[in-house]
Amino acid sequence: MQKLTVQVCVCPECVMNGAMDIMEAIESLNKLKVQLSLHASVNIIPRAHLGEEDHGSKSPLVIVNNELIENANAETVMSKILTHLQ
Amino acid sequence: MRGIYTPVTKIRRQVFAEIARLAYNGDDMSKLEEIPYKIIPGEVPTYRDSVFVERAIVGERLRLALGLPMRSATDPAPISKGAADADIPEKYYEPPLLDVIPFACAKCDTTHYYVTDNCRGCLAHPCVSVCPVQAVSMVDGRSYIDRDKCVKCGRCKEACPYSAIVRYERPCAASCGVDAIESDELGRAKINHDKCVSCGMCLVNCPFAAIADKSQIYQLIKCIQSGAKVMAAIAPAYVGQFGPLATPDKMREGLKKLGFADVIEVAVGADISTIHEAAEFLEKVPDELPFLATSCCPSWAMMAKTNFPEIAECISDSPTPMVSTAHAIKEKYPDAKVVFIGPCAAKKLEASRRSVRSDVDFVITFEELMGMFVAKGIMVGGEEDESEPFTDATGAGRGYAVTGGVAEAIRDVIQEMDPDREVPIETADGLFECRKMLTLAKAGKRNGYLLEGMACPGGCVGGAGTIIPINKATASVKAYKNSTEKKHATESPYAKKKK
Repeated sequence: MQKLTVQVCVCPECVMNGAMDIMEAIESLNKLKVQLSLHASVNIIPRAHLGEEDHGSKSPLVIVNNELIENANAETVMSKILTHLQ
Repeated sequence: MRGIYTPVTKIRRQVFAEIARLAYNGDDMSKLEEIPYKIIPGEVPTYRDSVFVERAIVGERLRLALGLPMRSATDPAPISKGAADADIPEKYYEPPLLDVIPFACAKCDTTHYYVTDNCRGCLAHPCVSVCPVQAVSMVDGRSYIDRDKCVKCGRCKEACPYSAIVRYERPCAASCGVDAIESDELGRAKINHDKCVSCGMCLVNCPFAAIADKSQIYQLIKCIQSGAKVMAAIAPAYVGQFGPLATPDKMREGLKKLGFADVIEVAVGADISTIHEAAEFLEKVPDELPFLATSCCPSWAMMAKTNFPEIAECISDSPTPMVSTAHAIKEKYPDAKVVFIGPCAAKKLEASRRSVRSDVDFVITFEELMGMFVAKGIMVGGEEDESEPFTDATGAGRGYAVTGGVAEAIRDVIQEMDPDREVPIETADGLFECRKMLTLAKAGKRNGYLLEGMACPGGCVGGAGTIIPINKATASVKAYKNSTEKKHATESPYAKKKK
């Protein structure tokens, strides 16, 4: 089974800008494994800080398999994950 | 939109962070005029058809976040007009707490049924047959509903085999459990403040971000900066709200970095309230009262007393956890200022009552606190942060934040006091469900019961001022509750057992 690691920054600014909702969206992919024909497991790692120390205007920050996503949201992160898995 | 991060959420939170920055930086109130340009940059509108409208709406939100009254669109005043009045180190509040920003309202149509393109114009057309007032007919080969005749019973919707008929509701009105949303002369939503119980559900369910409540963060920051001893009382729903690293053990240090002198869990007050309500149940039910209903949720209690005056006395008169906690703090530190930090809009109203005002100085929500953390650049739960666990509260008190937790805590104490006593329980969350429960209770069908009502979906974890999705918050609160060594309220050092 394919494995994918997604790191989500959970600094205050990223949490305020929806980091927890992004994590929820990533977890929700597990419920769509049949519809998406997924044979993979996604490992979510919350990080105190990703990227630069003060990344306010770029938050939330997410890294999908070493690829940094700035101003991430559920839509862009789910799409990136599926791109990596398919 | 509950549990989904949207641009509406983003704007609301940006406003709190910017108001907190304004306070921390000690900027002149004239800086307010610049903030809409920071939140809505550029010349191309993102959310509406004009950046000027977007900025004007942000301007009104900034005023409300300062606690200022909303202006009329006909008022030529700048955003900062009167803002100096709010530049004080104590609560600044004048009713109403919650309001619709009229020019942000999209004038959504009121409740009606209509036929979508799913209609096949079928031979059976049961929608026509089931309508009791002949409002449905076949026009040009498809179903048509005459809105003047329609009585909104929904039978046509139920009967359609293609799910072609939908019930259309204004999201604000659909989320309001007390029918407080009306319309102004231009068809925009208007809150009937005589009916409103300030639960804040319209605020979080309006997809156009047209509803906002007043905040006290600016004045709270000024109070902290004045050197006052400010104590934070944090409501049980806080667990998990500030991210997975901001564990309960790390919250005290995080809040101290903001300038709070110390932090106490409101779960401590919940334990006190539990024991009080358990004793009240044993004393009054069934001889004096047919049933007892919990009192901790202010919107539920207000709805019950307003809509069901015949059974108002069945709502417990125990002090709420917020009040018990604040009272305990002021007993120990009479000169301290107490801030209740919770998930709830209605607590702001509760704290403004004459009987509560002296104990609770400020009320802010988790979202507003997050704005303070962001403005100050404080990371909660960093590796270098001290771990200082809270030790006074019990699992029962910590469970208050989730539907069923309050009644369970009270029942456990009742059965500790009187092991033979059976305590039937019913719980309801969301004011629609609460009203159904009270309708049955009023009809005498819940005699002998302990009733728990929560205005928000899932309990306090679904409050209007929360940050994370409800299911995540529920799981966090339950895990924290279950990990607590002291299980029952009577094990709390604050609790004096009443018999």
